[in-house]
Amino acid sequence: MENEYLKRTLVFLLSGGQGERLYPLTRDRSKPAVPFGGIYRIIDFSLSNCLNSDLKRIIVLTQYKSLSLDRHIKTAWNLFPREMGSFIDVVPPQQRIDNNWYRGTADAIFQNIYIIEMERPDYVLILSGDHVYKMDYRSMIRYHIEKDADMTIAAIETPVTEAARFGVLDVDSANRVTGFQEKPDKPMPIPGREDSAFVSMGIYVFKTEKLVQYLSEDHRLEGNNDFGKDIIPRIYGTERVVAYDYVKHEGERAYWRDIGTLVSFFESNMDLVAVSPKLNMYDRTWPIRSNVEQYPPAKLIFDADDRRGMAVDSIISHGSIISGSKVYRSVISPGVKVNSYAEISDSIIMNGVKIGRHTRVRRAIVDKYVEIPANESIGFDLERDAARFTVTSDGIVVIPKRYIF
Amino acid sequence: MSKILVVEDEQHQRELYAMELQDEGYEVDQAANGREAVEKVKANKYDLVVLDIRMPEMDGIEALGKILSRDKKIPIIIYTAYSNYKSNFMTWTADAYITKSSNLDELKGKIQEILAGRSK
Repeated sequence: MENEYLKRTLVFLLSGGQGERLYPLTRDRSKPAVPFGGIYRIIDFSLSNCLNSDLKRIIVLTQYKSLSLDRHIKTAWNLFPREMGSFIDVVPPQQRIDNNWYRGTADAIFQNIYIIEMERPDYVLILSGDHVYKMDYRSMIRYHIEKDADMTIAAIETPVTEAARFGVLDVDSANRVTGFQEKPDKPMPIPGREDSAFVSMGIYVFKTEKLVQYLSEDHRLEGNNDFGKDIIPRIYGTERVVAYDYVKHEGERAYWRDIGTLVSFFESNMDLVAVSPKLNMYDRTWPIRSNVEQYPPAKLIFDADDRRGMAVDSIISHGSIISGSKVYRSVISPGVKVNSYAEISDSIIMNGVKIGRHTRVRRAIVDKYVEIPANESIGFDLERDAARFTVTSDGIVVIPKRYIF
Repeated sequence: MSKILVVEDEQHQRELYAMELQDEGYEVDQAANGREAVEKVKANKYDLVVLDIRMPEMDGIEALGKILSRDKKIPIIIYTAYSNYKSNFMTWTADAYITKSSNLDELKGKIQEILAGRSK
């Protein structure tokens, strides 16, 4: 059968990221569970990509603060019939092999190696639960098979100035990996294009036997037990390690962001409110699904000159009421109430937030269920805000979940 | 003198291996199951462990994991009558997997090879 290889692929979705640089959004939840774009959580992108790619054997490895992620997957992603051999299993650390938490990404897979034993896949696809992106994994797995690769690494071109957060690849004309630097101080540019670097997206396909071999060897070595820090540098010289050029294969659909920091989280959300968003959520050939709570549709009310309910260049989720107030360039999540004479601009307002009359909010991320009282101002006096909240280096104010004013 | 721990539940076999390895010039200690092996590794310093898989109380697979989480570097040779434990991926972390045969030549050869490699 043409797509038989998909059934012979097991997916591991690494979802244990602590996300310290997303604090306070990660105070009560792991990074993949952070809400995104109004109705989504970050992990919905990877899971939707799996669904759109016909991959239905998925292990979600959790670790820190996994309750909200666990609940989300149980309610939003309870889709696959196990009796047909498909599943999304949420697996917390089992401590079957030793009593430690996962050290690095490779250790997370190694500690769950018994799952590979039971499932007996031919290929293992390893994903990260903290990227916002669209990707057809079928194309990458086919490429891996065609190239007869031991390991295939999805890679993307990025400005050399941003490459230091990633693993940087050097490849030959056949896309064989010939060099690798993990989070280098001075990233190597693409030959002849000094301002760009080719970086690993942290998405890997392995031949199962090879993966088990690398993990077993790695388990015996000192190090971080990490794909980027240990395994890739150790194997690329002797094994068939190949890079998959994501943008070239994905074409117009290509969009990928590693939500590593509050700034990248903010910018990625803001990508959605652009007139022609870089991240197109309207593409019916590649739907992104989530857990949608039942609410009535969004409502905008009052039409007096001084008290007009309006929103422009914004996303307004269901259950929200923009009542006699103005919203500019913002993401409004479900169940938000913005009261009269308030003004919100360039902000991300999460579920159930209430904003009082005459309150102004600018360049802020307001986490769930915060009630901002009347006549407040957020994002105008950053010194005052910094005394109360997290403020990023470029002035984005973050108000934590259920903050009491 | 290199010190080897032989882990084997079958007493006659265990004593035979111990004698043969002593004849090769090694100092040999014995454990009758995985649990004893883990305790001995905690209390002593070995240069190599010869580990059976199918044993009472604690099998060799579990012992392998526990020994490695204590000491990643200690060489371990799985020595079992069964070849099908290779499908248990934990056994891939061992330095060698040898299926038992009537003589100990292969085991002795592998021990020598591993210890020679380590003393380099």
